[in-house]
Amino acid sequence: MTDKRLRIMILDDEPIVCKRLKPALEKHGYDVDTFTDSTEAMNQIQNTAYDIIITDLKMKGIDGMQLLTEAKKKSPTTEVIVITGFATMETARESFHKGVFDFIAKPFKLSEIQEVVSRAEAKIRSR
Amino acid sequence: MWQLAKNLFSAALSRKKGVVDFRQVFEHFQTLLRNHQTAMELIADLGEKSGGDYIFDRKYLSDSVQQLQDLLLHMIKSLNLIASNRYAELYATLDNVFLPIEAELKGRIALQDAPYVVHLTDDLFEAPELLGGKAHRLAQVIQRLRLPVPNGFVVTNKAYHRYLEYNDLADKIHAWVEAWASGEEELERTSVQIRYSILAGIVPPDLFREIQKHAHKAANSWAVRSSAHGEDGELSFAGLHESLLNVLPDQIPEAYKRVLASLYSAESLSYRHQMGVLGEEPAMAVLCQEMIQSRASGVIQTSCVDPLRPDCLTIYASFGLGRTVVEGKGEADTYFVEKYPPHAITMSLVSEKEYEVTSAVGGGEEETHIPQRRQNEPAISEATIQLLAKWGVALERYFKRPQEIEWAEDEKGAAWILQSRDLVLSKSADRPEQDVCDSCASYPVLVRDKGVVAHAGVGSGKVFVIQSNEDMKKFPEGAVLVAKYTAPWLAQVVPSAAAIITERGSAAGHLATIAREFRVPALLNVDDACSILTNGTEITLDTHHRTIYLGRVKELIQYELLQSTVFEESAEFRLLRRLLKRIAPLHLVDPHSPDFTPKGCKSAHDLIRFIHEKAIQELMDLPSFVHRFQGVKIWTLVSEVPIDLKIFDLDDAISPDVEGDKVVIDQVNSPPLQALWTGVSRRDVWSTEPVDLDLRGLMSSLTRNWDAQGQGASASNFNLAVVNKSYLNLHLRLGYHFNLIDVMMDEEPRHNYIYFRFVGGVTDITRRSRRAQLLENILSRYHFNAVTKGDLIVARLLHLPKKEIEHRLQVLGALIGFTRQLDIQLRSDDDIERFVQEFFNRHDQLARSLS
Repeated sequence: MTDKRLRIMILDDEPIVCKRLKPALEKHGYDVDTFTDSTEAMNQIQNTAYDIIITDLKMKGIDGMQLLTEAKKKSPTTEVIVITGFATMETARESFHKGVFDFIAKPFKLSEIQEVVSRAEAKIRSR
Repeated sequence: MWQLAKNLFSAALSRKKGVVDFRQVFEHFQTLLRNHQTAMELIADLGEKSGGDYIFDRKYLSDSVQQLQDLLLHMIKSLNLIASNRYAELYATLDNVFLPIEAELKGRIALQDAPYVVHLTDDLFEAPELLGGKAHRLAQVIQRLRLPVPNGFVVTNKAYHRYLEYNDLADKIHAWVEAWASGEEELERTSVQIRYSILAGIVPPDLFREIQKHAHKAANSWAVRSSAHGEDGELSFAGLHESLLNVLPDQIPEAYKRVLASLYSAESLSYRHQMGVLGEEPAMAVLCQEMIQSRASGVIQTSCVDPLRPDCLTIYASFGLGRTVVEGKGEADTYFVEKYPPHAITMSLVSEKEYEVTSAVGGGEEETHIPQRRQNEPAISEATIQLLAKWGVALERYFKRPQEIEWAEDEKGAAWILQSRDLVLSKSADRPEQDVCDSCASYPVLVRDKGVVAHAGVGSGKVFVIQSNEDMKKFPEGAVLVAKYTAPWLAQVVPSAAAIITERGSAAGHLATIAREFRVPALLNVDDACSILTNGTEITLDTHHRTIYLGRVKELIQYELLQSTVFEESAEFRLLRRLLKRIAPLHLVDPHSPDFTPKGCKSAHDLIRFIHEKAIQELMDLPSFVHRFQGVKIWTLVSEVPIDLKIFDLDDAISPDVEGDKVVIDQVNSPPLQALWTGVSRRDVWSTEPVDLDLRGLMSSLTRNWDAQGQGASASNFNLAVVNKSYLNLHLRLGYHFNLIDVMMDEEPRHNYIYFRFVGGVTDITRRSRRAQLLENILSRYHFNAVTKGDLIVARLLHLPKKEIEHRLQVLGALIGFTRQLDIQLRSDDDIERFVQEFFNRHDQLARSLS
């Protein structure tokens, strides 16, 4: 298990978030797929189980809450990290009872999200 | 009766004037200070976000701008409450400053205000949209990297739109392109129609005059090149647009039209179609540069074509003008040169060069035969090769991508950069074979998870620890700058540094701003950096993981060069930098300058500065101030120091148990005032050599009593400290000079600052200016950012921990005493250094704490 690279999905309709996060996480040894369109991301999780999903909450079309509900249903062991602006912080807190691993407020530092991802990884690897 | 009416009238008038009472004034003042603080932090935050360590989106930018605008609105309101609405004009100023900011946020670049022609050395304003890719990059090479680029000007995109408008072309072109895109018209015919109509147009007279003005100012002969937006950036239009060499000044308008027309060449149209950008309205800026009559020219590729030499760059060189190499028209010499100093040449291949392109008499170019004996000579010397290699590395470091650089060497042997664009690599080069994560793991780690990121990135080089001003001159190109503090004077070596690491400093400070401007990866606040990192050691800094590796981590450097996004080039970062340009710069430094007016406020920072200064001045406006003092508790400080100081306690610095109206310093629980007073009270500070001026007169002016009722107070000898537990605002008039110190000192370094302002004196302006220079000299050794203008010095310091602020306040205290009459003794410039030494000798303890 420890040798297997973890698969991470990043979903945010702001392309800059995906563009910046992908290389940062790849350098840490993760396999990363990025999406700016939530419908495409939804299709993707129908046939691919990700270890970790990092998603924005507020998006056009399918929002982050719908996606994480579906992701958890398909693959209960997937850990979901929610990224969100301050305005939706309350909603983010609510997402906890949907089994969200953690949430993080925009704007955030690369090191902050890396720390959350490492904790999620530790949890996955300890299973 | 008449008297009664007069009294009533004046009473009504004074009510109308609404002089607010002192406590209320200070409540407004404190609200203003709090908003001032928040606004400054917000600006600092925005600056920090531009360093690449944060991920943010447009929403964050618009929220921050909105918040800043609200804070400023409140500050203006507070100031007007303090000053009985005498600054109502500021509401309009606020609009003037924020309207273009809002336009930027909405994606409407304020093109309507843009000029038709700009010089390459004009302020960049982060607007490749205006200058086009090529010219924008060259402007950066000149202004940031300071490499030699032929002088020139840019006919902007705004001019392009003007040209279309004047000739009524925009709609026609749009229709023709539409017709082709929908298959109704052939490519060739479309291209010919559009190009013909552009060439048949007339350069509008206003634009024509602007172009002529610049064209006749300098060179006799110009290179006129395309600089389309997007060119040399993510899309490579290499070779698709027209470039004309050796154009005479009078021929420039015609050449300009030819370059514009090339935007619609068949190749260019189909390229834009393929890249999916046909729908976007193109625009063409045109770059005109002084022609370099080159004896040799060529190309540098900072990535090696030979996979066996990954640490090398490639230089191609040929005789004559650049077309030979760029367009592959003839044989060129090829050199592989190591990327790292001393740039050893690992392979050189000198080829037989039969032809060269040269400037033709009367304009244009011609191909000439190279005499037999020269054909096998190398086109350039070894020294030039190494110089070009050094430039190539600097350009790649700045643009963070492998570069393709056109260069030329003139008849005198001087080398020039003609352009620098991202090198398009084959797809296979994109994917490193080994995993970067595994590769990094094999290098020893010197520092992990320490420090704050001022500018994100990866940088590698040999450590160079800077301890003093003298070290700066020895700083080698491409070294890693390591220092204890982020002193402002370090700024001058930033452009040559591969990375910056300091023990102290904040991502909101001055050096951080400079690092961002020059795109140098910087990690600050790394404990013990100066002892862990020793001179000459080769290291690699990776700010993304706040890690410093021993050695050159080639895999990481390569990975960075090939990753998908250079954050500095992304739309969000460029937008942020454009916003910051309208928000962060401070132009209003000198409150006595004639520009220190609401109209003079060009940025949000100017506004903040103006409001802050005026609020302080309002409090110091003595006639109304004294009036306001009625009924307000003012304390007199009892001390051996010959400064008659009054204290106004904002809240709870002085215990309610204290009786009477006199206090000693221990009873004033204001750590910043106490720290300053410790410095002022040093026994030796008040005993400079006796001055041959009327000392008694001076002392009497210093110690003259001040009446709390306001009777007998005079504007010239008023010393007041407004304090609370973390704040000090001190106005001193000692003899003939005026000294203002404004300090915030609490547990959170981000809140802390010292503002020091000193002006005046008893002697002539020359001596007073010497004193200002002496203060500048001493203060900059304590890492103040000090600016002098005549006898005025303004010094600032930001974001240091409480202990260090405290220490510097002691220094300021000592300086107040030391310099009080010193201008008299500064008879020559040499005296400045002598008294600087004298100061440090007397205060050897302070001097020691410098090291």
